[in-house]
Amino acid sequence: MDRLWLKFLPEIRERVATLEAAAAAVTAKTLNESRREAAQAAAHKLAGVLGTFNLTRGTDAARELELVFSSSSAPSASSGKHLAARAAELRAMIESRKSSD
Amino acid sequence: MGRRILIIDDEEDIREVASLSLETVAGWEVIKASSGAQGVARAAEQHPDAILLDVMMPGMDGPATFRELRKNPATAAIPVLLLTAKVQGTDQRRFADLGVEAVLFKPFDPLTLSAQISRALGWK
Repeated sequence: MDRLWLKFLPEIRERVATLEAAAAAVTAKTLNESRREAAQAAAHKLAGVLGTFNLTRGTDAARELELVFSSSSAPSASSGKHLAARAAELRAMIESRKSSD
Repeated sequence: MGRRILIIDDEEDIREVASLSLETVAGWEVIKASSGAQGVARAAEQHPDAILLDVMMPGMDGPATFRELRKNPATAAIPVLLLTAKVQGTDQRRFADLGVEAVLFKPFDPLTLSAQISRALGWK
């Protein structure tokens, strides 16, 4: 499992970067439809895979972000800070994951 | 008993983890497909014992792939288990109504995935 984690870590980091960029765009009120859809897809994929690698809390955080970005109406600018904090939590969990095998 | 499972998922990480899990924990043979269309073709060629089918895929999604599998006499009887990261009740009911054998959820536990499949299909 650790071999697979290392193999897919770059892709997982990219998905988190997509969420960080979307959260920043929410704060800046520049979130467009394509960035929102990309954030929704990234969050969905993270939700599906993180728990498989023993990061259950990561799946929970990703699900929350997926729900926010799945609404066709843009999140309010005031929620940007919270979204950025959740994305930062995700990054911290991913970077501190310990070996499972 | 040795089984042959076809995994259809566009996400390589999920395909790899599920494949490793089924091969090492259960000793099953795994065939992989990265799209619905490829999965339909592989199922017709290789007649797996069951198909693990992702719901959200670009192009032909899981439900559309399932309908294609059921239309073809060569694949119509192969048991299909949907694999989804959707947890909302409405989605779960919609998937169950398709007529699949079972709906399994992401994230799955690699140590128990084969047991979940066996239980859902009544395999010993």
